[in-house]
Amino acid sequence: MQPQPTPTRPLATTFDPRTITRPDPALMRYYAVVAVLTVLGFPIALLLGWIRYHTLRYRFDDQGVWMAWGVLFRREINITYRRIQDIHLTRNVIQRWMGLATVSVQTASGSASAEMTIEGIPQADELRDFLYARMRGARGLDDHAAPSAPPLAQPLSQPADDEALALLRQIRDNLHTLAARQERRP
Amino acid sequence: MSAAPTERAAQWVYTGLWRILAGWFRVPRQPPTLPAAASESVEAFGPAPEFLRYLKFLFWLLMLPMDIPVLAIWVVMLVVVPIVGLVLSPLFIFLAIAPDIVAYVAIHLRYDTTWYVLSPRSLRIRRGIWVIHETTITFENIQNVEVVQGPLQRYFGIASVHVQTAGGGGGGRRGEGPAMGAHHGLIEGVKDAPRIRDLIMSRVGLSLHAGLGDEAHPDHDGHPPAAHPPAWTPEHLAVLRQINTLCAQLAARA
Repeated sequence: MQPQPTPTRPLATTFDPRTITRPDPALMRYYAVVAVLTVLGFPIALLLGWIRYHTLRYRFDDQGVWMAWGVLFRREINITYRRIQDIHLTRNVIQRWMGLATVSVQTASGSASAEMTIEGIPQADELRDFLYARMRGARGLDDHAAPSAPPLAQPLSQPADDEALALLRQIRDNLHTLAARQERRP
Repeated sequence: MSAAPTERAAQWVYTGLWRILAGWFRVPRQPPTLPAAASESVEAFGPAPEFLRYLKFLFWLLMLPMDIPVLAIWVVMLVVVPIVGLVLSPLFIFLAIAPDIVAYVAIHLRYDTTWYVLSPRSLRIRRGIWVIHETTITFENIQNVEVVQGPLQRYFGIASVHVQTAGGGGGGRRGEGPAMGAHHGLIEGVKDAPRIRDLIMSRVGLSLHAGLGDEAHPDHDGHPPAAHPPAWTPEHLAVLRQINTLCAQLAARA
């Protein structure tokens, strides 16, 4: 086997998770290998893997990820990108041989195990970075442009007819009349 | 240069092992990367060399109590029944040495496959050989940072930085190495732990949110904000200045 150089990933690739609906066929092969490794549980493990592979569906949209699987016991998971707390990318030897990976996504719920485990996507690195770019804090400083320095462009372009300004103008005018009256008195 | 032959042999074995790991088992040699803007500097580093010495020291601490009895039994056997002792000597030497070599190699591999990547807004940790585990956490989501240093670690001048995100959960998951549990990142065996802590905490302190995915900023979904942050525009300031001068006039006259 050839030593594979780790692919260097440019940020903007052609990878678009929105087109993903099904896991890669390699996932079925992976499940088969894992089933073989369980020795005694082989038939059951193979059946479960087969069911999971054939019913597994993904949907990546603008807000978050949806995944579902199962026949008798159906399960569906929804996660919004913004609620992602940490992303784990795990590859064991077999997965590396098959070019697979497990992307585990965690939200702030109390469980130690991952809320969503995305399997069978060959471009796992790209998927991880796709999720990373959409989780909170990944875009950096725009998240908290310091409270003392509000964005300048917006208020300037805004017509300044808000209540505070109107009030201030009233106060100024009242003061003006007061000052004028005082001037006349002596 | 007295230790050169053994050192070279060890080096040779180790590079060979790495070649097998990288070629057959697809263990990446390069550190992981983090997507970042061009202006941001991303640093990738491993544990400090002191961490290696620390691990080896720990290893000897654990190994000596195991090796000494084995060798002692062998010596006693050699003295009492020399023939049996001689016959069994390969076994005893193997028992005494084989685990040491395996552990030594494991320590070096652990040291060489641990990577930490820090960007100005997030961190990524890679760990593991058979199961390669990469954790990505944005500083924004971090709840607390702990710096842990035991007496032995202090002697070697290293410390560990624990980073936690929201959401509990027990220890590690499915036996994936030390402290690779969910909601947890471990930067182990670094010399500049205070710097890393300060870097992370300064970012956490800047954050206005609880680190729980609070929807906050309009930039993220492209919608204009519903309510403006209260801010004085130049027009406000101009009127305020006028008010101020009027007040000053009134005060001067009264």
